[in-house]
Amino acid sequence: MIVLRSMWRRSEGKFALVVLGLWLFVALVSLFWTPQPLLATDGYHVWAKPSAAHWLGTDGTGADVLSWLMAGSRTNLLIVVLTVLFAGAFGLLLVAAMVARKSALAGASVVVIDALISIPTVLLALILAVPLGASITVIVVACGFGYGLNLARVARPAALLAARSSYVESALAAGASGWWTFVRHIVPNTLPVLLVQLSLSAGTAVLAESGLTYLGIGVPSGVPSWGHSLATSVKFINVYPLTVLWPGLIVTIVVVALNVFGDVLRDAADPLSNPELRRS
Amino acid sequence: MSDNNGAHGQSGATTDSSLEGRAKTQKNGPKWWLGAVIGVIVAIAIIVGVNLAKPNAGAQGGNPSTVETGGNAADIVTIGLKLAPTNLDIRNTSGSALDQVLIGNVYEGLVARDGNNQVVPSIAKSWEESKDGLTYTFHLNDNMTFSNGDALTAEDVAWSINQLIKNQYHDADSLSMVKSVAADDDKNTVTITLKTANSNLLWTLTGRPGLVFDKDATYDAKTEAIGSGPYTVAKFVANDSITLKANPRYWGSHKAKTATVVVKYLADDNAAVNALKSGDVQVLAPITENLAEPFTSDSEHYTVKAGDDTDKYVMAFNSKGKNTSDKRVRQAIRYAINHEELIASRGGADKALGGPIPSLDPGYEDLTGLYPHDEAKAKALMQEAGYSTDKPLKLTLTYANIYGTELGDQLRSQLAKIGIDLKVNVVEFSTWLQDVYTNKDYDISLVDHNESHDFYQWADPTYYYNYDNKEVQRLYAQAIAATSDDQRDELLAKAAKIVSEDAPADWLFNYRVTTAWANGVSGFPVNLNQTLLPLYNVTYTK
Repeated sequence: MIVLRSMWRRSEGKFALVVLGLWLFVALVSLFWTPQPLLATDGYHVWAKPSAAHWLGTDGTGADVLSWLMAGSRTNLLIVVLTVLFAGAFGLLLVAAMVARKSALAGASVVVIDALISIPTVLLALILAVPLGASITVIVVACGFGYGLNLARVARPAALLAARSSYVESALAAGASGWWTFVRHIVPNTLPVLLVQLSLSAGTAVLAESGLTYLGIGVPSGVPSWGHSLATSVKFINVYPLTVLWPGLIVTIVVVALNVFGDVLRDAADPLSNPELRRS
Repeated sequence: MSDNNGAHGQSGATTDSSLEGRAKTQKNGPKWWLGAVIGVIVAIAIIVGVNLAKPNAGAQGGNPSTVETGGNAADIVTIGLKLAPTNLDIRNTSGSALDQVLIGNVYEGLVARDGNNQVVPSIAKSWEESKDGLTYTFHLNDNMTFSNGDALTAEDVAWSINQLIKNQYHDADSLSMVKSVAADDDKNTVTITLKTANSNLLWTLTGRPGLVFDKDATYDAKTEAIGSGPYTVAKFVANDSITLKANPRYWGSHKAKTATVVVKYLADDNAAVNALKSGDVQVLAPITENLAEPFTSDSEHYTVKAGDDTDKYVMAFNSKGKNTSDKRVRQAIRYAINHEELIASRGGADKALGGPIPSLDPGYEDLTGLYPHDEAKAKALMQEAGYSTDKPLKLTLTYANIYGTELGDQLRSQLAKIGIDLKVNVVEFSTWLQDVYTNKDYDISLVDHNESHDFYQWADPTYYYNYDNKEVQRLYAQAIAATSDDQRDELLAKAAKIVSEDAPADWLFNYRVTTAWANGVSGFPVNLNQTLLPLYNVTYTK
């Protein structure tokens, strides 16, 4: 609560919280209600300008742009949550390997991570799309893998420092298991880094969804997502620039909000920079 | 703990004063992100503004590109096409891009076809067919030359066709019924003798199989071309452009009206539209109907016209599929599809097509009345087959991503109303070829069959349609063996009607190619121009 309150007190924190709150709210609402039925198409009214029936106009199939964007927020939320969970779990697993007491394992894992980090996310997604086809799994696994490696790399110094600290050594000497000390002592020390990295990952995942869907290996046809709305309208940017503006704007604002959110959360959750936490 | 800060990029010091400092920089924070957001919005506004303003700017700056004075015909006309050939070797390289640019311009055939897909004289000025349909005698024009100065004789003609058959060049299969090709230089005739009568022979000879090459010339066919047509290839840049120059030694009546025609290949639709707007090209073929809006609305500067073509968007139902082998399901789908709406959403240029033969092919008959849009009938048929909106039938539609996702979305929406839960699988073209075309592993497929005279697909039970109707096969064989065009057309029309009634597919529409050009351009063919593009008549006057 203190963390949330101190985030709210800062204007960029307010912006991030409002945008993300709105995102959650719209995703929830779209479960029960969209202005028009999602799968309704109308070939006689394609690329319509905004009107009372279609607040943001229609796309190339005559479907309601607003309805698709609302339903898309659900898909994007799912992708972001899954990617962050995957990246977090995978990243922490790698951190655990890198700070392991077996020096062979630690050394080998550092080298392996350095090598793997050079694989571009898009390439990985393209490879995954061969057996899986266009699917949400492709986005989540490719992004989660890439961001997990990054996260491990960035969190390693903090984790290493904690692992070599005297309290960890005392805990181990007192008979605590390696896993227990990792979870109890090392992970909390990496938390500030972790939060920033994960929220950056969340923002990048939204971008990646748009990019991969545009390439035809992301969200499959017929599943609403912001990337789908972008990909179907970007071809006609010369003729119907308004239609591509809406999904573009949403992606931009949400990505900025997620990045700001990470920054503000780090500052608010870190006792070093948030005096209120120290006071309590 | 203190060094921990280093990991996330801030200075590592932890004294209170640095905390104070950080607190201050936080106050500057809002300006930073606000600036970023404003910047993004301004950037978007500029992009939108520029795009909205462009049509006018383009129209003004666009047209005067290549012309010096008013009223004069330009020496150069630049044309924007879409699919580029990788090399110029028309005997070995497949793909309609080569037919499009070379046939009728650089190379000429024994016979040619006009914009209505009818056979017309070319190198042969006339021909006779024997009563049994087995012997064709072609009378050639006199004093014909190739662009290198060599004379074009009956011997060249016979040699070209014999080489094609002997070396199995591209499309040699379509001449498998030819027994012999003989030249008579004295009478200036060429005689083709067939093993079995074939009513498609003349049309086949208008394409690659009938092209005439210089027997005595040696050149690299991949980068050069020596033919007898009104143009020669002056420059060829693979996947980019071809420069055609008028052939000074041209012998015939199709003399080039413009000295130089540059063909540019613009694969990206938006780049193509911009090229026409900015005046880089004077003609664009094809242009996506929905993208043509800035040009249709500016009729003072541009003309937009759709031409007839033989492209059929065939939505095939696997006739041996688990669910689609049920004729009631296939019929229901045909009744459920609102073709008029599909065509409207694409801009309205395309034509409804009720059967396998388009209007430019022999045997065409308007079959759109067989399965009119009738949701009630479709629902009743699905009910009979045991499905309803509460208990929908799951089917998968597989098609290549080059056709866009819109068609799939619309079909899913239309079929949902009659109790079909359509899963749309948009894949790479190579995947479609593998899964559908080769392995025949599909429920419903969608592809643009653009070939002309391709009814054989429905008479071949091994084709990916899995359609096997003995009556259709018998009628098609008879049509091919027919010795008169009328007889052939009648038999084909009869077969086409049976196919359409059996509903092994739905023909979504007959795609018509839209062409846009700057006013002042004349003589550019609009019909069939993705495979047949004679340019000799093209001029550009400003």
